Amino acid sequence: MASADKLINTDVPEKDVFALHFLQSLSNLKTQNPLNSPAKSIDRVRKIKKAAYVSMARAAGGTSRLWSRALLRRAAKDDNKSVRFSRRKRKVTWKISSKRRKSNNQRAPVVEEAAERLRNLVPGGGGMETSKLMEETAHYIKCLSMQVKVMQCLVDGLSQK
Amino acid sequence: MMNSSLLTPSSSSSSHIQTPSTTFDHEDFLDQIFSSAPWPSVVDDAHPPSDDFHGHDVDSRNQQIMMMPLNDGSSVHALYNGFSASGSLPNFHIPQGSGGGLMNQQGQTQPPASASTATGGTVAAPPQSRTKVRARRGQATDPHSIAERLRRERIAERMKALQELVPNGNKTDKASMLDEIIDYVKFLQLQVKVLSMSRLGGAASVSSQISEAGGSHGNASSAIAGGSQTAGNSNDSITMTEHQVAKLMEEDMGSAMQYLQGKGLCLMPISLATAISTATCHSRNPLIPGAVADVGGPSSPNLSGMTIQSTNTTMGNGNGKLNGNGNGVTKGSSSIAVKEAVSVSKP
Repeated sequence: MASADKLINTDVPEKDVFALHFLQSLSNLKTQNPLNSPAKSIDRVRKIKKAAYVSMARAAGGTSRLWSRALLRRAAKDDNKSVRFSRRKRKVTWKISSKRRKSNNQRAPVVEEAAERLRNLVPGGGGMETSKLMEETAHYIKCLSMQVKVMQCLVDGLSQK
Repeated sequence: MMNSSLLTPSSSSSSHIQTPSTTFDHEDFLDQIFSSAPWPSVVDDAHPPSDDFHGHDVDSRNQQIMMMPLNDGSSVHALYNGFSASGSLPNFHIPQGSGGGLMNQQGQTQPPASASTATGGTVAAPPQSRTKVRARRGQATDPHSIAERLRRERIAERMKALQELVPNGNKTDKASMLDEIIDYVKFLQLQVKVLSMSRLGGAASVSSQISEAGGSHGNASSAIAGGSQTAGNSNDSITMTEHQVAKLMEEDMGSAMQYLQGKGLCLMPISLATAISTATCHSRNPLIPGAVADVGGPSSPNLSGMTIQSTNTTMGNGNGKLNGNGNGVTKGSSSIAVKEAVSVSKP
């Protein structure tokens, strides 16, 4: 339903925002590491991957999305950096009602087990309710596909011979 | 129909509705909710609405309140369900932006004439008649179950949104749709991994691995599988090709790739190859048994080896960069990317 989408805001910024962030992170990487260190090329790959994810998280709504927050926090923990998040008004009321619902035994087990699997995949999915989780997943999917497109374009563009 | 009785009040108060709509804001709205007659108590059906509300003004206001969300689809219908249960007010907080948006719309669109204050409502709410959502006939009015219903509807609506995102989302079954979603997320993450591997230095690591693995293991750390064309190959020739490729890779990636392309093969990481072979089951060319060798490399499984396949499987839509032709040159994106990696890594 088109009207349903108005409730769920899963807008994702345009490709160039992603590309910009990604290229910036890549150039940072390049300045940090010299190119000829074959023993650590696996680390380099990992760094690139991490740069991809971090730049994606930053580009796709900064800290206003749960999964991007979790991603950034995870990445920053590896680097021993601290990430600053703006304080959001906690929706405490939502939490209360979710606790109440847990007493209810009517959760569709199919949905719940799928939600469990999704929680493992989507960063930051551990503490979310199922409906919130699906919203995050939708946004995450959009951002991931955007990031893939950007990287694909870069690869194609640079592989001209 | 119960709705017809409600037409007159709604039409008469339609003018009321439009004027104050622009000045409405959240607090007013909530005040109205709480100040009006307690809704959950008025659950019986067949009550003419005028009996329930105090005065026409409140009536129009209440109608307004109820009609506003009902302009949108039944999704808001679901939203609105939350009002009926006392104490489920928090549910309204969540789509904050949408609440304001709804109110804005109110002035523009005529509420459907059947915007009803019918208390009982009909069991199946046809799209035209908006039944008052707080309790449906024959269903429990217990706040738990209402909340549960609301929750399920929210989940269903989000799943529908997800369904549009995921390709191949024409499955009607909820379970298979969820599986599809999960697989798609995994696939996207894998793509990011592959692309990041291929970009800078993936080839360098692979070649180094192959060179050192070639000495220790019997076979090279890349497995080569041929397509239909090379189906007749015995294992020996495959190993020979592997060795050849490994040797070439040590010197120059470009020549290695050209050699492979001449044979109609492409290079791709094992993880991706397994993903391809397991993800899409409608491959015209079945893989040669034993062709995909999972090599235990000395280090992380990401780069433990490359497997070369030439199959006709396509990976989803438009991501057919990883196809292989049986006949001609493969344009696997990994192969291209490996070439690119070579050009990049050479200072």
